[in-house]
Amino acid sequence: MFFDIPFEVPYLLTLLLVIPLVGAILTLFMGGKREKYAKYVAGLFSGVTAVLASLLLFTADVGVYNESYTWIETIGLKMSYILQVDGLSILMVFLTGLLVFMVTLFSSKESNRPNYFFALMLAMEVGLMGVYMSADYFLFYIMWEVTLIPMYFMISWYGGPRRHYAAIKFFIYTHVASLVMLIGIFALVFQAASGGVADFSFAAVLAGSFSETFQSLVFLLLFFGFAVKMPAVPFHTWLPDAHTEAPTAGSVLLAGVMLKMGSYGIIRVCLEATPEGAAHWQSLMIAVGLLAIVYGAYACIAQKDLKKMVAFSSISHMGMVMLGIACLSEIGVEWAIFQMFAHGLITAILFMICGMAGHNIGTREIPLLGGIASKMPVFAGFMMFGFMASLGLPGLIGFWAEFGIIFSFYEYGAANSMIWVIVFCLLSLLLTAGYYLWAMQRTLFGRLTAKIDLSHIHDVSRVESIAMGAICAFILLFGFWPDAVLGFIEPYVQGLTSLGVI
Amino acid sequence: MFIEYTWLVPLIPLLCFAIVGFFGKKTPEGGAYIAIAGAALACVISVLVAYEFFTSAAYSDPGYVTAQIVWFTLPGGYTLHFGYYIDSLACLMMLFASFISTLIFVYSKGYMHEQGVKKRRYYAEVSLFLTGMLGLAVSSNFLEMFIFWEIMGLCSYLLIGFWSFNHPEGDDAADNAASAAKKAFLVTRLGDVSLMAGLFVLLYTFGNLDYANMFSPLSLALADPNMILIGSLLIFGGVIGKSAQFPLLDWLPDAMAGPTTVSALIHAATMVKAGVYLVARCFPLFTQDPVIMLFVAVIGGITAFFAATMALNNMNIKRVLAYSTLSQLGYMFLALGTGGYLMALGLKNLDHHLVIAGAAGYVAGCLHMVNHAFFKALLFLGSGSVIHAVGTEDMRLMGGLRKKMRITSLAMLLGSLSIAGFPFFSGFWSKELILETVMHASDYGTEGYIFSILWMLGVVTAFMTAFYMFRMWYMTFGGKPRHASEHCHGESPASMTAPLMVLSIFAVGFGFTILFGFDSLISIGVDHTNALVVGGGEAKGFEYFTDIFESIYTYLTVALVLIAIGIAYVLYNKREFNPAKFSGDEKSVLYTALTKRWWFPQLYNQIGWKLGYGIARGVDFVDRQIIDGTVNGLSAAVTGGGEILSKGQSGDVRRYTGVVTAGIVVLFIGILAIFWYMEGI
Amino acid sequence: MIPIEAFLAFAAILFAIGAYGVLVKSNTIVVLMCIELMLNAANINFIVFSAFTTDVVGQVFVIMTITVAAAEVAVGIAILLNAYKTKGTIEADGLASMRW
Repeated sequence: MFFDIPFEVPYLLTLLLVIPLVGAILTLFMGGKREKYAKYVAGLFSGVTAVLASLLLFTADVGVYNESYTWIETIGLKMSYILQVDGLSILMVFLTGLLVFMVTLFSSKESNRPNYFFALMLAMEVGLMGVYMSADYFLFYIMWEVTLIPMYFMISWYGGPRRHYAAIKFFIYTHVASLVMLIGIFALVFQAASGGVADFSFAAVLAGSFSETFQSLVFLLLFFGFAVKMPAVPFHTWLPDAHTEAPTAGSVLLAGVMLKMGSYGIIRVCLEATPEGAAHWQSLMIAVGLLAIVYGAYACIAQKDLKKMVAFSSISHMGMVMLGIACLSEIGVEWAIFQMFAHGLITAILFMICGMAGHNIGTREIPLLGGIASKMPVFAGFMMFGFMASLGLPGLIGFWAEFGIIFSFYEYGAANSMIWVIVFCLLSLLLTAGYYLWAMQRTLFGRLTAKIDLSHIHDVSRVESIAMGAICAFILLFGFWPDAVLGFIEPYVQGLTSLGVI
Repeated sequence: MFIEYTWLVPLIPLLCFAIVGFFGKKTPEGGAYIAIAGAALACVISVLVAYEFFTSAAYSDPGYVTAQIVWFTLPGGYTLHFGYYIDSLACLMMLFASFISTLIFVYSKGYMHEQGVKKRRYYAEVSLFLTGMLGLAVSSNFLEMFIFWEIMGLCSYLLIGFWSFNHPEGDDAADNAASAAKKAFLVTRLGDVSLMAGLFVLLYTFGNLDYANMFSPLSLALADPNMILIGSLLIFGGVIGKSAQFPLLDWLPDAMAGPTTVSALIHAATMVKAGVYLVARCFPLFTQDPVIMLFVAVIGGITAFFAATMALNNMNIKRVLAYSTLSQLGYMFLALGTGGYLMALGLKNLDHHLVIAGAAGYVAGCLHMVNHAFFKALLFLGSGSVIHAVGTEDMRLMGGLRKKMRITSLAMLLGSLSIAGFPFFSGFWSKELILETVMHASDYGTEGYIFSILWMLGVVTAFMTAFYMFRMWYMTFGGKPRHASEHCHGESPASMTAPLMVLSIFAVGFGFTILFGFDSLISIGVDHTNALVVGGGEAKGFEYFTDIFESIYTYLTVALVLIAIGIAYVLYNKREFNPAKFSGDEKSVLYTALTKRWWFPQLYNQIGWKLGYGIARGVDFVDRQIIDGTVNGLSAAVTGGGEILSKGQSGDVRRYTGVVTAGIVVLFIGILAIFWYMEGI
Repeated sequence: MIPIEAFLAFAAILFAIGAYGVLVKSNTIVVLMCIELMLNAANINFIVFSAFTTDVVGQVFVIMTITVAAAEVAVGIAILLNAYKTKGTIEADGLASMRW
């Protein structure tokens, strides 16, 4: 970015896994009287992780951070511990580090068994970092599953009234999907080995040769696994439930980084390993993406729960990512990755807002609210900022993502002489503005509500506004200067082109 | 030496926004002085930039100065820039936007004085608004323009909704303001989405969005004409939204829910003028196909007429002005569209006369835009002064204020004369030039008859304009004082009347500038590279002057205007006839249609509600019942199946053994059968 | 020389008797005895095949089966004793409290 740091941190990628892990174990044992120090320990460890993760942004060549050790080696199988970062994962690693730290700050008021709460959060960070950094399918799959378990407990211990239902649904739904994905991974690995040693590393699979039929079949298995995680309509119903019940921190991480695992997987596995399958199913991906953006936007309008609305908006925006990838063009994938990053930042703000509505006002039901802006001006300011960023106001990061993705889709349409298809995208832009503005009108403005008890209402606290303000600053910074993000993505996308993927 | 610092013009108000937004509480008057100083400084720099540009060699060739940096590139050879593009049109916009905004900000100091802590929000937001407009004026490409365009949309949302949390409990006004703000943003967003689609089309066609590149004859010749047609129409869709043209005109009257100064800002200096600016800016593009310009002209003519009808019987002083803005904007688009149509025909058939005739339309449109900025700012600020004094917007409660508010009433009178097109006031020149051009266009092309109709609409609109403006003036200032006027506490403070006086001078006299060669700055013509360039042409002011006064139609229009003023005088000042006689005691169908705005709001509500919320409810139902129902059903099937099977677990050991033995026997027999069958083969 | 079919038929009859006993008898002691019968039917098969193929592995297995059977009876009887102590019965139908 601006400058490059002149030194290398030894074992940086391993540290990114180990530090949160140590933090998680330490906070786990801080029960009883030491409970109130848990947040400081968690803050320290997640802060160090965030700093280390952001070091990656200032490294001229991230290729130097490459750790590779053989882990399990038997007669027919070889699984390795390989960590790598490239243009695709570097942004996600940074986002994970940043969001976990901000969420730790944001939820520093957690008083119900805080040691477990922060331990779960740090454990989740281990899994997320692992998913984004691993370059071995076995490690990738393990880390993928590792993220599930803390999230399950996060929802079922700290969630809302229907938390058990939501947690079980979340776990089983995504777990089934990841098992299907595992079958796909096995198919890839064993086919690539073609009777020899089944090496699970990404490189070995890339080196394998697959027939087009094989690719299109395996693509479907993998795609299903990732699409559920994204989530793509109609496999999305776990998401609104999980979000409605999850605590704020869980929601932020779930929407901010965990959904990105799905789109990350599609690019990393489906596109890189089965490019012909992707080309074969391109129209399926486009249909799924378009369905998600329009369906999600419409579903938002009907929601009464602020947080559920934001959850559906995530579905709509992740549909944008899917659409960008589905264009299978350099520009499409580039902006899809950009949107993953942008949505991660924006959605964090949105879920913090919703969480605060629940905590500080006492309800998130839109019909019960009204005129809150006069009581909570700072809250109203953040809410407006978040909503505007999410509906794609130019000058904020969300606009560029939408602009780029719809343009790439337009390019796809123009190449296939059906430019009318962008009408769906434009409709979703309009609907997005509609539901956000309508929600704002009903919650923030107009007559002050008389339906709820407003005596305990209080505005944003200092720590919370620092956490949200920092994320807002990033939204503004990259909104004015999108090239800072694109600079990381471009080499990766060019790499995809030179591989002949897109 | 100043042109290099053009970027300061939008940056200074932006800095004011940041300063007032973060530290406004600590500054006197909630940051009013900072905002005023920022606007004034922007105005001064605009003057310097414009002066340098008009005296530079670039003014005559190539007609613009542009400088930009690469913002970012997209794979596939698309480059997006960030920079400034200065030509006559940009200078014009910069100058009048910053000048009028400065006056409005000064006025706001008096008008918003009693608003306490809310002043900080007000001054921060209006500064950002000005940033949007100035940035739009100096942008070097469509994308940059679009960003400022949307920033203006955001600011209009914030400012129209300014009263949406008026006092802690909120009231009807707060609900209205919140609803109007939402409507304004959504309707303009509809246009913006169309504009964005237009940008995609153009970006794909041209490879970048820089004015300097796209407007060069070379790139225009290389581009696919169909794509230019589609892209231009989509861009005009954005203009329809932003400038509240037919059929998206409904948000602007509702936007009156904001403070009056904001209305003045939106109507005179920023926001709606951005649409006019964009059409004027896109002239080289739009003139590629006469159809586009014909469309622009038709939309303009229809809007001018419709909006004027709605103003005829409205009782709210601000709404009358809002409709008049719509109507005058319609005139501007009519002028630009007609001029562009002639020019497009001229360029197509290589007819130099038509190009020159088209330039008259361009001059008329731009001149009317500037004139309108002055007299509409004057009228709005004047009405603000009235509202400030009497505390109501209902004209039925006013009357007789002439004696109590001398400066305001005089200023409003001058503004009304100007907008009505009374001879030699500024509105007269531009309006007559517009009608003249439209008349001229009816002689050309196969669509000439359309322009005859548009001309008639224009003349009728001129009549109606004069009528409703003087109806407003007489109801407010003439006759005897009514309820609210009796409580009027006299003339407004000097910070409010001073801008009125300054604006009055311009509203009266600005039209004369075309006699001094002003039109050469805003005329458009073909240069030696065959490119359309604004400014640098020869002054044709006297030709226009003679054209206007040689035409019989001019006298017709003037006569109609005088008659309209007379009718208004008789009905509303003398009150010799009760206007209710003509409206069937306010129950006739026409009267109802006008008060209901031709039922447009109902129609839009119905459509919006059905297409938005109706479908959303359907989607929600599908989501809850069908999709999630399937998921829950699946899990219920699994747990239910387990429940049923577990009934077999009776605990009876002998039954278990029986089942096991039976199973073994069945398996055994099965295997035997298979063997038998296989051997049989 | 007695043909192999005779031995196998004998073992099959023995096994069928054992299986019948397991299925119909409710006294668990009798059930255990019937299981012994079935095991021994299997043992006979082992020995017969071992003798006819002159392969000693079959006999090795028989010795192992006898050992396991002994251990099994010891455990079985112990369980039954305890069941009798707690439930007061060793009828199979009465020992159904461990079901779902």
